[in-house]
Amino acid sequence: MKIKTLEEILKKKSSKTEFAILTNLENGDSEIYLPGTSPKGEFSKYAEEIENFFKSKKNGVIENSEIFVETYIKPIKVIIVGAVHIAQYLVDFAKSLNFEISIIDPRGYFASEQRFPDIKVINKWPKEAFEEIETNSNTALIALTHDPKIDDPALQFALKNKFYYIGALGSKKTHENRCQRLSEAGFTNDEINSIHGPIGIKLGGKSAPEIALSIIAQLVSETYKK
Amino acid sequence: MKNSFDEKILDEAKDWIKANQKVVLATVIQTWGSSPRQVGSRMIVNEKGDFSGSVSGGCVESAVVSECLSLIKDNKPCKKIEFKVSNESAWEVGLACGGEIAVYIEQIH
Repeated sequence: MKIKTLEEILKKKSSKTEFAILTNLENGDSEIYLPGTSPKGEFSKYAEEIENFFKSKKNGVIENSEIFVETYIKPIKVIIVGAVHIAQYLVDFAKSLNFEISIIDPRGYFASEQRFPDIKVINKWPKEAFEEIETNSNTALIALTHDPKIDDPALQFALKNKFYYIGALGSKKTHENRCQRLSEAGFTNDEINSIHGPIGIKLGGKSAPEIALSIIAQLVSETYKK
Repeated sequence: MKNSFDEKILDEAKDWIKANQKVVLATVIQTWGSSPRQVGSRMIVNEKGDFSGSVSGGCVESAVVSECLSLIKDNKPCKKIEFKVSNESAWEVGLACGGEIAVYIEQIH
């Protein structure tokens, strides 16, 4: 691989562009491929196979050839509401797991850049903040403030936009009250039951990093179920 | 759904190159049976034999490192290596799990 190709790969990765690396295993030539374009030169005759690898989000050697295809897809977007202590540990775990994190918190003293370097922190109320983030059914929401006036609008937005994972921090009692409010707001039982509350797998720990671990474990597990 | 679990090995490769090291990139390109690391898993090796990342659960890394060192020494661009459980070649390493993997090694130049 040429250094120039490596640099281009890193650039595409940091700009979250979807692409594939094509490698000729016989002569070592490699090239970057963008979905929807025609592969160049020696790779051009495998256009269909390459596109299929891309669609199935798989890596591998094209059958009866010496061409290796490695696809890079966009990371899953995770929105955290509440720039709290647990969020700081979630950010650490999410970095190793390559989730793309955005944090929403209208409270300026929580949502400071100093507490969350290198993370997109939106210091606004959820309703306004969601106007700045592109979301879809591949987005996850983790609500951590357990303050209805901050969490509830975010949960409602996530339910309406069919996020694949929605979790909310709070005791059983807090969650019961939350479900009651969502029901009064017109959400169905199925929608309300799709919220993971109290959030996280049963790990037993009570410290901030342990709660963050239990949340991230549930998030990864739900990601593979989809 | 799968996420793009990216292990930042290529980012590290760039750092090593910046530090004037010779870097060989090893990538798992095929697997058969139960193999510990999936296709696309990577490790990098420099001319001193330092390495980062993994292509198996520790079963064949040492063999991959020595292959990478030979690649640098012979100044060859790339090579494909297969590891099987009953590998009778000079390696005497195989995958304890009974899987088979093919690893592609290439110099970054």
